[in-house]
Amino acid sequence: MGDKLQNRRLMWLSATGLLIFFGLWTFAAWVELAPRKFLPLPWDVVERGFALMSRPFSGQTLQGHLAASIDRYLRGFLLAAAVGVPLGLLMGWYRWLDNMITPLFDSLRFIAPIAWVPFAALWFGTGIGGPTMIIFAGAFPPCLINAYRGARFVEKKYIEAAQVYGASGPRIIYEVLLPASLPSIIAGLRIGAGAGWQSLIGAELIAANSGIGLMMVRGQGALDTSIVMVGMIAVGLFGLLVDVALRGVEAWVNHKRGH
Amino acid sequence: MANIVLDNVSRTFGRDGKEFLALDKVSYVCNDGEFVAVVGPSGCGKTTCMRMAAGLEFPSSGSVKVGGKEVKEPGPDRAVVFQAFALFPWKTVQENIQFGLRSLGVGREEAAERIAKNLKLMNLEGYETAYPHQLSGGMQQRVAIARAYVLNPDVLLMDEPFGALDAQTRTVMQEELLRVGRANPRTVMFITHAVEEAVYLADRVVVMTRRPGTIKEIIDVKPVRDAEDWQKYERIEDVMDLESFVHLRTRIWRLLREQHGPGDH
Amino acid sequence: MSATLRDNARLWTGTATVVGLVGLWLIGSASGFISAQNFPSPEQFFAAAKQLVVGEGFADGRIHEHMLQSVKLILLGFFAATAIGVPLGLWMGWSRTAEALVNPIFLLVRPIPALAWIPLAIVWLGLGDAAKVMILWFAAFVPSVINSFTGVRSIERPIIEASAMLGVRGWTLVKDVIVPGALPSIFTGLRLSLQGCLTALVAAELLGALLGMGKVLYQAGLDIYPAMILAGMVAVAIVGFGLTAILDFVERRSMPWRTTH
Repeated sequence: MGDKLQNRRLMWLSATGLLIFFGLWTFAAWVELAPRKFLPLPWDVVERGFALMSRPFSGQTLQGHLAASIDRYLRGFLLAAAVGVPLGLLMGWYRWLDNMITPLFDSLRFIAPIAWVPFAALWFGTGIGGPTMIIFAGAFPPCLINAYRGARFVEKKYIEAAQVYGASGPRIIYEVLLPASLPSIIAGLRIGAGAGWQSLIGAELIAANSGIGLMMVRGQGALDTSIVMVGMIAVGLFGLLVDVALRGVEAWVNHKRGH
Repeated sequence: MANIVLDNVSRTFGRDGKEFLALDKVSYVCNDGEFVAVVGPSGCGKTTCMRMAAGLEFPSSGSVKVGGKEVKEPGPDRAVVFQAFALFPWKTVQENIQFGLRSLGVGREEAAERIAKNLKLMNLEGYETAYPHQLSGGMQQRVAIARAYVLNPDVLLMDEPFGALDAQTRTVMQEELLRVGRANPRTVMFITHAVEEAVYLADRVVVMTRRPGTIKEIIDVKPVRDAEDWQKYERIEDVMDLESFVHLRTRIWRLLREQHGPGDH
Repeated sequence: MSATLRDNARLWTGTATVVGLVGLWLIGSASGFISAQNFPSPEQFFAAAKQLVVGEGFADGRIHEHMLQSVKLILLGFFAATAIGVPLGLWMGWSRTAEALVNPIFLLVRPIPALAWIPLAIVWLGLGDAAKVMILWFAAFVPSVINSFTGVRSIERPIIEASAMLGVRGWTLVKDVIVPGALPSIFTGLRLSLQGCLTALVAAELLGALLGMGKVLYQAGLDIYPAMILAGMVAVAIVGFGLTAILDFVERRSMPWRTTH
């Protein structure tokens, strides 16, 4: 079969797959395999989403909750990146720093970020520090690790060239390690962004007074499946957006490097 | 300018608990303004000698001195041209060449002037804003050489700089290096395994033995070159046709051949 | 520096750092610089740990009961998800048809983080174990599919062509070519699945459980018992470390042809 024909066929298959999925869902909801309350029609969910944009639920409209979530998220994520990336690069160059921090980091690594929630609640209540801390816990490790590995695995020849041509520690880190590790750093940011977003939602499910997570928990409390699903879609869409944007940056950097 | 003095240099490597003697009491000198080529079989340690002069590696015993001072660390006074170019892929040609100048604290205006001069010297005009991956191998090595030259270093260390280039480009680069070297003579240690290249470019050729590396013989090329007036020939193939050239080349080949036993290849 | 010297330096510096931090902790708590309301002193921590391990327990159980509960659910969700996810990913990787059919649905599900399934799971299945297993299933499912898929796609062309030439087909093809080729990626996926499960479970148990690590954390938070919070976190780390170590062991044994670095 020709390539073009093959692609067309695959496209039809994809469309069919989607149709089957939504078809089954609609069918199951229609015949009320479970009460409408628990299994809404796809259309019901969409309708609810639009309704939430004008009528507040649990204190905010959909956009309001989303904005609150994104606000916390950006604080936590940017903090994680601002601390993790430079620290990783420094650890990649200064062996003594690496020796100090890595064992510590390795032992803390196994604590799921979400396990910090009780302390976060204790220390910050429902203030902004709490979620920021959880997001930081989630986003920090990938940012640090990728910057560190990027720096440690820079090809020796670049470091030697920099040393021969007169650069020392700080200049090497800034002019050689950083640009050389950029692909790894961006990959780390991408992974950290996802982990941070997931941590945020978790934190909001447990201890928050606004945000998508809270909206979903309240929806769950009211046994309002539509609201829960709207929340899930909003969470998924934003996460996807951030991921796609960062992949785009990754691709652009690789392109500039001639890969 | 300065000279390079290797005095009884030995180097041992340890791996898996065993020790290998890579260099065994090697001594030779690159005099002020002299172009010295070092040839030898693979693994003889010729590159290690250069790296020690550069300050990238250190002898286990003996000393390496440049300009009378023992080499403790790398620096722009001993510029290196690497076999793998080692240009920073994220910097443009201009920025790459500028890198060392910044280390020396050269002011922006003077730096721009020097860079422009060296770009012209290495036939790189017009490529200031290009990135290394956009250039051919030969051009990249020209940038690497310009990066070294622009510093006006006391000493130039070249580690098989044309090894990664194809044969034709290689020939062109050898001619250019000679031309540029005549205009600005300086102390050069040039590592290569290509005997013809060594004879064509160098004032003296140091021939090393296989591991553990020692000096087999040091051959004076300059007297022959001056006597036979090689410089009057523009093209490398004309020089390589000369009897005096062939004689030297064959002599060095034989020295290298002797080191391979009958069962070696 | 030789390799052994470097390793020793790391060992000493690392130990020194940890000892130094513990020292700071001791001093900080004793001097009152670290308020006991916010962070336990070492003595309080050990007292809580002792209570959890050999004493009367906490949050309706002793540590092994909590750990067992958590581990039980993780294993259930993990195996249920990977038993479906890995074959699905392999199939999608191998067959363009399968990929075209399943991918769109998968792309819809994929961006939704595992924790976002918690409210839905609770609505559908209540606050018991079943809901938790569902959440764990979603946490483990996505990474295992993606990485199995990538694993198949990364098998070098010449190997596939050689298999075709040798007439290898069907079950033998799967067993001897596809699975071993994709195995490194599959294990990466399994590791991510496990991490996802750990996170998801603690979160789910924080929201409502009768037993489990998350329950310990939740109860300790409610009771404002910082020492127990810390003890709970340490317990979570131990469980995480233990399960990951087992997975690593299985990975190393199952790929003897692979050199470790």
